[in-house]
Amino acid sequence: MKGDYREPNVLPGFGITLGFTTFFLCAIVLLPLSALVLKAAGMDFARFIEVITSPRAVASYRLSFGAAMLAAGVNMVFGFAIAWTLTRYDFPGRKIIDAIIDMPFALPTAVSGIALTTVFAANGWIGQYLEPMGIKVAYTWLGITVALTLIGMPFVVRTVQPALAEVQRDLEDAAETLGAGRFYVFRRIIVPTVMPALLTGFTLAFARAVGEYGSVIFIAGNMPMKTEITPLLIVIRLEEFDYAGAAALGCVMLAISFVMLLAINLLQVWGRQRMTVRR
Amino acid sequence: MSIALDQVTKRYQDQPVVNDVSIEVGEGEFFVLLGPSGSGKSTLLRAIAGLTGIDHGRISLHGRDVTHVRARDRGVGLVFQNYALFRHMTIADNIEFALRVRGMKAADRRARRKELLQLVALEGMDERLPGQLSGGQQQRVAVARALAHKPKVLLLDEPFGALDAKIREELRRTIRAVQRELGITTVLVTHDQEEAFALADIIGVMNHGRLLEVGQPHDLYAQPATRFVATFLGAANLLLARQTLDGIRFGATPVTSAGSASMAGGREHEVVAVLRPEEVEIASAREQLTSNYIAKGAVEEIVFTGALERLRVKLLDEPCAAQLLGPSGTGEARLEITRTQPERRLLPLRPGTEIALGARRLHVLPTPLSSFLACASTEAEAAQLAREPLLESLSTNMKTRVGLRAIDGLQDSPAPFAGVAAVAGGPEASTTVEWLLRHGANEVLVLPKHAPSPARVYIHWTDEAARRATLAVSASLLRHVSAEAVYLGIVPAGRPGAARAAPMRQLLDARSEAQHDHGLEMRTELAIGETVTELTRNLSTGTAQMLVLGITDITQAGTAYRSLLAAQPGWPVLIVYRPPDQPARAAPEAAA
Repeated sequence: MKGDYREPNVLPGFGITLGFTTFFLCAIVLLPLSALVLKAAGMDFARFIEVITSPRAVASYRLSFGAAMLAAGVNMVFGFAIAWTLTRYDFPGRKIIDAIIDMPFALPTAVSGIALTTVFAANGWIGQYLEPMGIKVAYTWLGITVALTLIGMPFVVRTVQPALAEVQRDLEDAAETLGAGRFYVFRRIIVPTVMPALLTGFTLAFARAVGEYGSVIFIAGNMPMKTEITPLLIVIRLEEFDYAGAAALGCVMLAISFVMLLAINLLQVWGRQRMTVRR
Repeated sequence: MSIALDQVTKRYQDQPVVNDVSIEVGEGEFFVLLGPSGSGKSTLLRAIAGLTGIDHGRISLHGRDVTHVRARDRGVGLVFQNYALFRHMTIADNIEFALRVRGMKAADRRARRKELLQLVALEGMDERLPGQLSGGQQQRVAVARALAHKPKVLLLDEPFGALDAKIREELRRTIRAVQRELGITTVLVTHDQEEAFALADIIGVMNHGRLLEVGQPHDLYAQPATRFVATFLGAANLLLARQTLDGIRFGATPVTSAGSASMAGGREHEVVAVLRPEEVEIASAREQLTSNYIAKGAVEEIVFTGALERLRVKLLDEPCAAQLLGPSGTGEARLEITRTQPERRLLPLRPGTEIALGARRLHVLPTPLSSFLACASTEAEAAQLAREPLLESLSTNMKTRVGLRAIDGLQDSPAPFAGVAAVAGGPEASTTVEWLLRHGANEVLVLPKHAPSPARVYIHWTDEAARRATLAVSASLLRHVSAEAVYLGIVPAGRPGAARAAPMRQLLDARSEAQHDHGLEMRTELAIGETVTELTRNLSTGTAQMLVLGITDITQAGTAYRSLLAAQPGWPVLIVYRPPDQPARAAPEAAA
């Protein structure tokens, strides 16, 4: 049959790989998520609304997403600075610093949580100096943000690094001969050029921070309404055998995360279209 | 002068990439810096733009010293090979960049932008993004952007490198037209000689970080002074010929008539002659040649290239063939010939046909270094000497050959020595050198084992009579190694202050002569003490140093300089000998 002719591909096995992709998505991602939604759907609607709009839940959303957003924002700025240092300068120990950046990837999050608590507690290494100044880190939202910053940092650094390495020196040289000062070059040439990568890094760091549990619970103090993050609230609900309630909260997290990631992705697509290279 | 570079030197990790370059570019001139990749031409351009700092020298633009002025305050426009357009900005924003930085009003910016887009024939492209334009269009935007702030100097770094041939030619015409219209002083960097010929008012040829020659395209092509320029600008056959009292001889056949003033010295010597492929005449027999006969040959290869026919011809006359330098200096000796279509129709050829070859025009290079002759007690040792890295790199860079000669026992009456004799360093070196100089060699290179290519060459002569020759040899040598030249003047210790004025003046004379006659930029240093001690001390200050030593008294080589030549591990020493009564050679151009 005429219509059946398919262009031979360099890499064979399209059928198999597509099959695997579909299976993987279904079994690992979609199925559990559907189960979650189904579980939540098991409750009646009034109860569902009541659970997800309870003051304790709303406070936890605000903390979870607010701290994650703040941490990702901090990472965007300082992660960029680290990536800049690592790509632009060569200094003794650069390789070591480059390796240390990956540590939060490998470290069990509980370990980093405990470590941070030790350092930032009122009698900890840094905490003892901050305390007199009236800055409390451990057991406050600030501590949560610090923990989320720590675990999100490598995402930003690792995505921005290759993009920065690709910024042609010629662009900066060209801008300089045209009369631009260093800060002008940075603001108008370098930042816009690495913006897509920076946004990707931000997204990854944010997504990771929203889902973070292990490191936060040690430093958060977990006071309802104050320092209780949504994942923790879900765990508490589970421990109370309120599976439906936990699922409802999970659904809310899922929805908010989805909307935010979608928004960032759309922003990126829009940005990329402007940068399309055609020769 | 619009652009003036004075002894500009730039080093990377102690290796000079731009070496003592002085250039003057006139107002409104189109200057092309031509050189192979790695010759330092781009670095020099970046130095003019202010993007690369220099280690030594001065740069001035329109009489203003800008050596320490930042790029953004130099008022130059720079165009890059890969366009370097800001991809996230529209064409309009790209072009207006320099104006925006300067805080110009929007209406004025727009007016200037329209003007520029019209200049490069891209009207109406304002709101496009660079990614939506073709390569040629992008480069035109880059030119417009570089001109926006009305710079006094336009710099172009291989602007056609990323484009295909057709567009390249079109853009070349655009740039030439824009340059003429604005009358802006322009420096363009390229490795493409065709491009240089098409655009340049003046061409400067660079190699190994040095500016070799500067001149109008035609003059450089017709009368190059160095073999690099001869072979880099167009194709060239290089021949080793002999300058005799009866004119120039190639092998046994006289090629030019007698009567040249160059034989003032009265001694025959070897010269390097340039024979352009289009200056070779072909006839079926010697009698039919209208020009001077050079040799017989057999056609090996015929390539049709459209307007021209390219031939490779093997010389049949053995002694002549040995005098022909191949493209890399060694290996096969083949003559490259081009013929026009009318010439081809008159005498159609096929591979294998035997023909007579004539030279319509032969240009003798003024270089005193023609070829090398490795001398050792046995032929095998000479062959080993010829493989010394320094000698090998010199002969490759000079596109010349290294002959072998066994001089066992230093017997008397050897065949005449041609070119630079090379001998191994060591305790016996000075004896050998003296013997060679007594038997007709004029230059002897003493090579210690595994001597690296020098980074610094010291120049010294014991007697002012040797100055001209030593400078000529040094200049020729330094065109083929990337090293800095240092003239070392030595004043005996204990002289009263007044008596030091003479050496000081000699030092300055030497420097201006080197610069004026040979285009060689050299530094000068003055040492006080005993000659051999001071030479040894200076040579020991670093690794990879070399000495060019001019002498007028043969016995000096054997006595005074014995310790210098015998030192372990030692330095390469090039001895230039001129008897005091023999004026230096000068080999003017000879036309057949």
